[in-house]
Parts: sequence; C-alpha cells; structure tokens
Amino acid sequence: MVSGQVSLLADARPPFPPGVGDFFLPGIAGAYPWLTKFTLMVWFAVALIILFFLVSYRKPQLVPTKSQWLAESMYGFIRDGVAKEVIGARDGLRFAPYLASLFLFLLVTNVFGIIPFLQISPNAHIAFPATLAILSYILYLAVGVRKHGLVGYFKLAAIPPAPGYLLPLLIPIELVQNFITRPVTLALRLFANMFAGHLLLLVFTLGGFVLATSSSGLIKTFSPFSFLMAIVITLFELFVAALQAYVFTILTASYVESSLAESH
Amino acid sequence: MAGERPPKDSWSSGINTGWAVVGYLIAGMAVWGFLGWLVDRWLHLGGIGMGIGVVLGAAGAIYLIVRRFGA
Repeated sequence: MVSGQVSLLADARPPFPPGVGDFFLPGIAGAYPWLTKFTLMVWFAVALIILFFLVSYRKPQLVPTKSQWLAESMYGFIRDGVAKEVIGARDGLRFAPYLASLFLFLLVTNVFGIIPFLQISPNAHIAFPATLAILSYILYLAVGVRKHGLVGYFKLAAIPPAPGYLLPLLIPIELVQNFITRPVTLALRLFANMFAGHLLLLVFTLGGFVLATSSSGLIKTFSPFSFLMAIVITLFELFVAALQAYVFTILTASYVESSLAESH
Repeated sequence: MAGERPPKDSWSSGINTGWAVVGYLIAGMAVWGFLGWLVDRWLHLGGIGMGIGVVLGAAGAIYLIVRRFGA
C-alpha cells in the first residue's frame, strides 16, 4: 500500500530543483502566447477590486454595513495613513485615489502567491512590477515638472544643498539617484520579494515530495519537516505580501512629496 | 531624521530614509566607479582608476546622506 503510493509519487515526480523557468508560464490558448495565467490573474484582481467597491458602495449608509466599513477603512487607511501623512494634508488628497488603487492592486496580486490553485503572484514576473514602477515614475516626474517647470524641476532634482566645489562630485550621484536608482529599485524590490517567496515555496513543497520518494529511509523521515517549512513560509509570505504592497505605496507617495517640495 | 517630522510619521519616513540611503550609496559608487573605469580604460591604469572612483563615489554619497538625513 505504502510502496504503491510511493511509486505513484515517483512516477509523477515533480521537476526538482525549481528554476527561473518556473516563472515563464506558457500561453493558455496556444494561439495567444500573451494570454497566460498571469494575464488572467491580473484581470481577476482588477475585477475583484472593482466589484468589491461597487457592491459595498451601492447603497451607502450613514451607519456603514460591514463591507462598506471594510471598503471605507481600506481607502481611509491609505488616504490618512499614506497620502495625507507623507505628501501633506493639502496636496495629499489629490493622490489618495491613485495610491489606494495601487495599494489594493498590489495587495491582491501579492496575496495571489499563497492562494491555492493561483499559487503564484504576477509580481513574481518583472514585467508587472516594472510597469507599475514606470507609472509611479511618470507620475512623480509629471508632478514635479508641473509644479516647478521643466528647468526648475531639473535643478531641484540635480543640485543638492552643498558648497560649490563639491557639486561636480555630487550632481552625477543626485541625477542617477533621482532618475535611475529610484524607479529601478522600486520595481526590483517588489519583484525580488515575490520571486524569492515563490521560489522558497517551490523548494520546500517540491523538496518534501523529493525527500519522500528517496530510496533511503533516513532521508524519508525528513520529508514532513520540509512540508512544515512550506506552511511556515506560506504564513511568512502573507506578511511579505502586505508589507511590500505598503512599501511600494509609501515610496511612491514620498517620491511625489519630494517632487512637490519647495527645496530639498 | 529626528525632529524634522512629527513622531507618528516616523515609521513610514524610516522606510523612506532607509531606502534612500541605500539608493545614494549604490548610485554614488556606480556612477563614479563607472567614470573611474572609463579613465582606467583610457590611461591603462589597471584598476586603480576604478578603485578611486568607487571610493570617491561612496564618499560623495555619504556626504549627501549626512546632509539630507543627518541630525
């Protein structure tokens, strides 16, 4: 009985070790290579968020219902906790809708990484964090140029407060920091966190099966520990998903704030 | 960062400061390291130019960090 199960497992042995190839999903319908699980998940996330807010705000009441309270407190959390807090009470409100949408989209897509059957976050593929980072990049550049004018914003972003003889050393650093490092690290941080999290889950889950199908009895006994680690990492991933969504939103807000600032 | 912003802001501004510091260090060493490497290639210094560039960039980055975020 037991050996029958083991041989069944051995026949369907999962590919081990997992690699970068696991993140390039095949097209679902052969004719459309762009239509992958990621594409469907992004549509699903957008539909989920829109539906949730439509339903909970359908009949707004003075004493909110449960779902209305949830929707209001999620928007309020970003509006008060991020937009007003980081950008400022006066300008912050204008950016609250973008920041709240960004946060919720990131939260939902990140949490997809640990939902059964979805199992992977679209943000584990660099294309999705990169697109979101480009959006934030365009936003804070546009805000800066509108506020200070093209030359004024460039001066603000390029010239640090320092004595003149240090400027030749510092201006290139400031330029690279403001125009290259910021958007690149914004995308990379989210991508790397989601990528590493998915890889860890793969290692411990698939590793559990590989250990269980080992020919050595001693090695087999370690298999439960691998599955236990997979459960622990899953819980940890929930924390990482929420934290990274929050960090991305906070940093976008703080870049907008620095574009609006009168001077550094 | 202490004193510049109200204390309830400290966590979010702490995230921001942390990443800005890392960003400055990377940017400084990358830019001046690259310029030093170009000088290296040009004058065939065998690595000394790049070394000086990286150290110079790190020094500049630390100056900016202290200036921006130092007490």
